[in-house]
Amino acid sequence: MQASTQRSDYFALFGMPRKLWIEMSALEQKFLQLSWKLHPDNFVNASEEEREASLKRSSELNDAYRTLRDPVGRVEYLLAIEGERQEGEKKQQAPPELLEEAFELNESLDEWREARAAGEELGALKVRLAAAEKNFGEKLSEVDQQLQRIAREWDAAVDANADAAACKALLTRMNECLNRRSYIRNLVAGVAKELGEI
Amino acid sequence: MGRIVGIDLGTTNSLVAYTEADGTPKCIPGPSGSTLCPSVVSLDADGSLAVGEPARRRLLTQPERTIYSVKRLMGRGTADVKDELKLFPFRIDPDSKNVIRVKLGDKIFTPPEISAFILRELKNWAEASFGEPVDRAVITVPAYFNDAQRQATKDAGRIAGLEVLRLVNEPTAAALAYGLHEKQRGHVAVYDLGGGTFDISILKLISTSDGDIYQVLSTNGDTHLGGDDIDNLLQAFVHEKILQQHKLDLSRNPELTQELRKALIDIKHKLSAAENATLRFPLPNGAVFAHEFTRESFEALILPIINRTMAPVKQALSDAHLKPSDIEEVVLVGGTTRTPLVRRMVREWFGREPHVELNPDEVVALGAAVQANILDHGVKDMLLLDVTPLSLGIETYGGAVAKIIPRNSTIPASAQELYTTGVDNQTGIDIHVLQGERELAKDCRSLARFTLRVPPAPAGLPRIEVKFLIDANGILQVAAKDMRTNEQHSIEVQPSYGINDSEIERMLEESIEYAEQDFAERQVIEARTESEAILSATHKALANAQASDLPAVERAGIESAVAALQESVAGTDYKVIRQRIDELNHATEHLAELVMNSAISSALEGRKVAEV
Repeated sequence: MQASTQRSDYFALFGMPRKLWIEMSALEQKFLQLSWKLHPDNFVNASEEEREASLKRSSELNDAYRTLRDPVGRVEYLLAIEGERQEGEKKQQAPPELLEEAFELNESLDEWREARAAGEELGALKVRLAAAEKNFGEKLSEVDQQLQRIAREWDAAVDANADAAACKALLTRMNECLNRRSYIRNLVAGVAKELGEI
Repeated sequence: MGRIVGIDLGTTNSLVAYTEADGTPKCIPGPSGSTLCPSVVSLDADGSLAVGEPARRRLLTQPERTIYSVKRLMGRGTADVKDELKLFPFRIDPDSKNVIRVKLGDKIFTPPEISAFILRELKNWAEASFGEPVDRAVITVPAYFNDAQRQATKDAGRIAGLEVLRLVNEPTAAALAYGLHEKQRGHVAVYDLGGGTFDISILKLISTSDGDIYQVLSTNGDTHLGGDDIDNLLQAFVHEKILQQHKLDLSRNPELTQELRKALIDIKHKLSAAENATLRFPLPNGAVFAHEFTRESFEALILPIINRTMAPVKQALSDAHLKPSDIEEVVLVGGTTRTPLVRRMVREWFGREPHVELNPDEVVALGAAVQANILDHGVKDMLLLDVTPLSLGIETYGGAVAKIIPRNSTIPASAQELYTTGVDNQTGIDIHVLQGERELAKDCRSLARFTLRVPPAPAGLPRIEVKFLIDANGILQVAAKDMRTNEQHSIEVQPSYGINDSEIERMLEESIEYAEQDFAERQVIEARTESEAILSATHKALANAQASDLPAVERAGIESAVAALQESVAGTDYKVIRQRIDELNHATEHLAELVMNSAISSALEGRKVAEV
């Protein structure tokens, strides 16, 4: 077995273009096919070198499959290899248009915690929080739809061999969208946790 | 290279299996004829070691020199097992912290050393059966075992003189054994409730043009939930009754406690078939404690324990994105699944009759043998893709945990993290690796801590990439690379719970002290013992009145075979001794017949002279 000579990207590993719409059954089939070849079970009696290479390449394959199978992980990964997103970067500052609502929500959450600690009546607060949760839940599905739209535009741009500037613009929009999504998701998860839904 | 075996190193019983030339896995019986080796080790005052059934008998006479259920202590610290140690008669060395040290008499052992005694015993069983040495093994572990518990199991193998080719998750091994048994397809749930651990695994069985793939989708469990807990509960229940009725505290008496435990295990087993069973237990005050357990009262008592398996089952299904009705086959593994209550609950939960065709005690060892065969010959028509049961994380600011490899990731799996410095000329970066699902480091299992050495430089300039890799055994490996120089850093990872390499080497040396002689020596001793038997039988037969009918030429042949055997016994080549035994057996065939004809029983016909 040959050691991989260069750090190829996950899309290339599966023989796929850097597009965001992926046929899941094709991905799985390719994954299983490559697993047959690369899995360490094949190399137990092989040389130390070959065993190391199998471990490296099969872990890479599994990492790639895990990443590409997850729609959001796939976008994050694309942004990383296109240089739009630094490794480990997760921007958490509130998008400007959400500032006011997020501030209100955090205030309600503080009140809720205090009231609960003091053993006070929670009914009215609970209604307010549930409403906020619903509101942000809707925003989350909006941002998901938006992300899907940009992803389709990206795929079209790849197919059309669009120029670098056009691609860069799409990536920037995608990154903003992803950051907004992660911010809203954290808010929703925070409320759900407080309301005991997790 | 020696032979390869599959070993189920269980909490209550351990087994060894191999795969025959036609691909059929088989369990190897020990000297008693049973394939179950009780996971019990006893060290007598004279230093003699007993493993398996003989050790289990000593549990009643020498409880303080005998240890059972050691698997529950593997890879754990004293603080982890404080509660349950109250129920065990073993004495724990007060100095032990992150590796438990058990006292047997005046000797101190770690759990991997105790497990190594069991592994060595099984190795001996296999070698006696093959007539060849065994040097490699696949050993099974509960799917929900963490890194430290897995490492401890691997260490035990090394101490026993075995190269551990792979640790395989028990439910996955069971699925492999069942897959051979009857070709299944689709989604399979394996519910494995053993003596000390509970696992649930959800697998997808896929046929491809290359062969069959066993892909584990998710796994969950509890490494401290099993038949032992039922026994503990029954024991506490009866202790309490005896205390009330007779003002006697049996828990202060280790011998009686063990006797009671054994009696209660019998009751538990009986209730799997019978509707009721009565405990009659003689007390030191002359009275007999009697209590009738009905199936109903027993089930009411143990229901809370069995109910604890349901949360992991739900989690595993949800992680696999499946509903109970999506599961096409359910497989039951582990002795505790013989309990009718367990079968009923599983049947109701999945809405289908679970598979129990294969012996639930043997199925894991059989699967281990299948995997051993795959590893020995390469992936031919079957491939196993397993997952890591717990998320891997690193501690970040404020004691939080950043998950870098999520649970149920197919292994091997890896994650890279880039590190830099926060202040000028900082020379070290501390890294704390954890395993678990909780958000805070203090609630997760600490795997290892280490310090990355960095050459002095302005803050933020050094760029060190650390690669965390979970190998196919579910064990963590760490490597670091300086991204500026592309140099590989060596990292000394000190495991939080575990023993280091030099300790293992020392244990390996010490274990030989207790181990029986090595394979060849043992074979010589066995061959000599057999020679004695056949020589004495031949001698007796020649003295028999019927032997006078023997032609002189045959008598001379026997005498020369006797002389040849006697000569070989003086040497140390067991193969030569065996050869001479066969030759003498052959030479005495006619003699045996003559003697036999005169013997009372015709049932002995066809047997060799040594057996008459």
